[in-house]
Amino acid sequence: MASHTIRVLLCKTTMESHDRGVRFLATKLRDAGMEVIYLNFLEPVEVVDTAIEEDVDVIGLSSSVEGHVAVLEAVTSQLQTRGHRRVLVLVGGVIPEEDIAPLQAMGVQGVFGPGSYVSDIIQFIHDHVPARV
Amino acid sequence: MAEKTDKIAEHEVVQMFDPAFLEETQRLEARWREDFNKIASRFGVDPATYQTYSHSGLPLKPVYFPQDVAHIAYEDIGSPGIFPYTRGLLAAQYQFMPWANQPVMGYGLPEETRERMDYLRSQGMTGYFGKTFYNLVYDLVSHEGVDPDHPAAKGRVGQCGMAVYSRRDMARLFDGLDLTQMNVVHITGYETIPVFAHYLAYAAQRGVPWSKLSGNTMNWYYQSAYCGMTTFPPQAGVDLAVELIQFCNDEMPHWNTLNLFGYGMEEAGATAVEEVAFSVAAGLDYARACMAQGLEPDNFLPRFGFQIAQANDFFEEIAKVRALRRMWAKSCKALGASKPSAMHVRIHTHTSGVELTAQQPLNNLVRTTLHAFGAALAGTQAMEVSAYDEALAIPTEASHTQALRVQQIIQEETNIAAVADPLGGSYYLEALTSQVEEAAGVLLAEVERLGGYRHAHEFIRDRIETSAQRWRDQIDAHERIVVGMNQYVTDEVQKVEKFKVSVGSEEEAVRRLHNLRADRDESRWKAAMVQVDDAVARFAHGENDHRMIPAMVAASQADATTGELMAVLKRHLGWRSPV
Repeated sequence: MASHTIRVLLCKTTMESHDRGVRFLATKLRDAGMEVIYLNFLEPVEVVDTAIEEDVDVIGLSSSVEGHVAVLEAVTSQLQTRGHRRVLVLVGGVIPEEDIAPLQAMGVQGVFGPGSYVSDIIQFIHDHVPARV
Repeated sequence: MAEKTDKIAEHEVVQMFDPAFLEETQRLEARWREDFNKIASRFGVDPATYQTYSHSGLPLKPVYFPQDVAHIAYEDIGSPGIFPYTRGLLAAQYQFMPWANQPVMGYGLPEETRERMDYLRSQGMTGYFGKTFYNLVYDLVSHEGVDPDHPAAKGRVGQCGMAVYSRRDMARLFDGLDLTQMNVVHITGYETIPVFAHYLAYAAQRGVPWSKLSGNTMNWYYQSAYCGMTTFPPQAGVDLAVELIQFCNDEMPHWNTLNLFGYGMEEAGATAVEEVAFSVAAGLDYARACMAQGLEPDNFLPRFGFQIAQANDFFEEIAKVRALRRMWAKSCKALGASKPSAMHVRIHTHTSGVELTAQQPLNNLVRTTLHAFGAALAGTQAMEVSAYDEALAIPTEASHTQALRVQQIIQEETNIAAVADPLGGSYYLEALTSQVEEAAGVLLAEVERLGGYRHAHEFIRDRIETSAQRWRDQIDAHERIVVGMNQYVTDEVQKVEKFKVSVGSEEEAVRRLHNLRADRDESRWKAAMVQVDDAVARFAHGENDHRMIPAMVAASQADATTGELMAVLKRHLGWRSPV
């Protein structure tokens, strides 16, 4: 479990208006003592750039309208090539069951579907974000 | 036919009950209260503190009496078809024509969406006067205002909407259909005008005069107040919306120009009260902007429409619709409207999506049936019923059809069409209608105090977000039960078939785009784009000569794409980086 203040980048594509859940999550993560950066992005590279600039521990992508596999493929591979393998990558929203295995294979560690509890997400983050040296 | 101005509205206030009668019913209520309190005590509940609330937080009584509605002016309840239209817009409700079936459709390539359009039509999907209503949603790529070969489009082509980006795609969608016998709703994001231009260019190609087209544009630049991001700052959004309204005012008398999107507010978290207040506030802001351009309320207001949610608090959601009709009518009258149709709230109901669950998805059929039934009792004009797999994916053909069947069963089997406003006169419903109206009035006044909707985005977002949080906090605290999600949970997973956009449609859409660019007349396209750029630049710099929409249509005729047209709009009207 991390001893520092955990920094989380929550993100959603610009024109995806289904942001009720992720905004709720942002508030609750903040209330749980984390620092939350919220990003609307057009291209995956913006997510990676922001994650690196903001030195985040966690990237949480919200998607209710498909397209998440392509985005996460780009995000995880760019994190790898740019040497940021320790960032915890999570996805939430409407994520079809059959996507879960491929997402995990590319390094997405947590998948939180409709109805997920924030308390579970907070616990997951605490359990998976390594302490900083 | 010229519309009559309502004379009845000018009458003096009529009291519904005489004082002696009310004395008697108050005695009855005192007697009931004693009995009720005894029962409460037996359940260990202190009657002095016992209180229930509507989902909006309005205090409710356990039962209602005549004295609860005695303060309401009878004219405010009135009669269907008479100002302020609380009981319905017209003297007849569903007696001669039921509400229009208007399911949302859109996925994959245009031909694939067309298949669903034809299929649902074959299953009895019916609009007004024999016309078919096609409620079509554009995909995320179009919503982003880019083309399918843009790096941001990867994985999103034909998802959550159809891959339609040009006049040629319109042909793939509509060829063979009589454009004058249908009503097309173009569900776009901020790419309203480019998509509208494609549709007009396509109609021109078919030789159909624009004045014979009917349908809707979203024109909902105001939605950035409560969800997502926006392509344009609020003032630019209002300007763009008014430009389209003005164009239709002159050219397209049957076109519905503005969709006041209460549904989106509700989905983002708004309560019934907030949905009413902020929908009216948005409508008023846009109406005043139109008037500032010299448009007459009686001319443009009849083409405004409302898209309203029908959510879980059964009676409050009905009261909401009735309160909205009354508030909007009075607000429009105050603006100077005199024709009934300029004061009418024409409603497209969208049954709530946010109340549906991924867990035990078949439960959603019950929920949507209750929502749709409530909307019918409230007297809606058109309806989209969410499919039971709403929380999982785009609807399959089977779930889409099932959602249509929900409407058809209510229309055909319940005898609901026989009587208009069947809950009108219910002490509870009339009291609740007034409660919603009063509470919404307070919120509306606050938005107006802030300078009107376009200046109140922060206030509106804060209110809606706070309501969304309260909703979820209540679920997490088990104060609000969601069957199958936080109560009556099972480990058994209800398997339903899930829709997937066909593999290969993304590649095909990109291939089509490249073909379009390769074989269009390059010099004609370039010349048309120069005209668009010039018209938009003038529009953006206060020299509007109303050439923007015609220039966009001409560009679409020269095979310009949505992404290309949006790029021009963004360049001149989009957000600037802070200096």
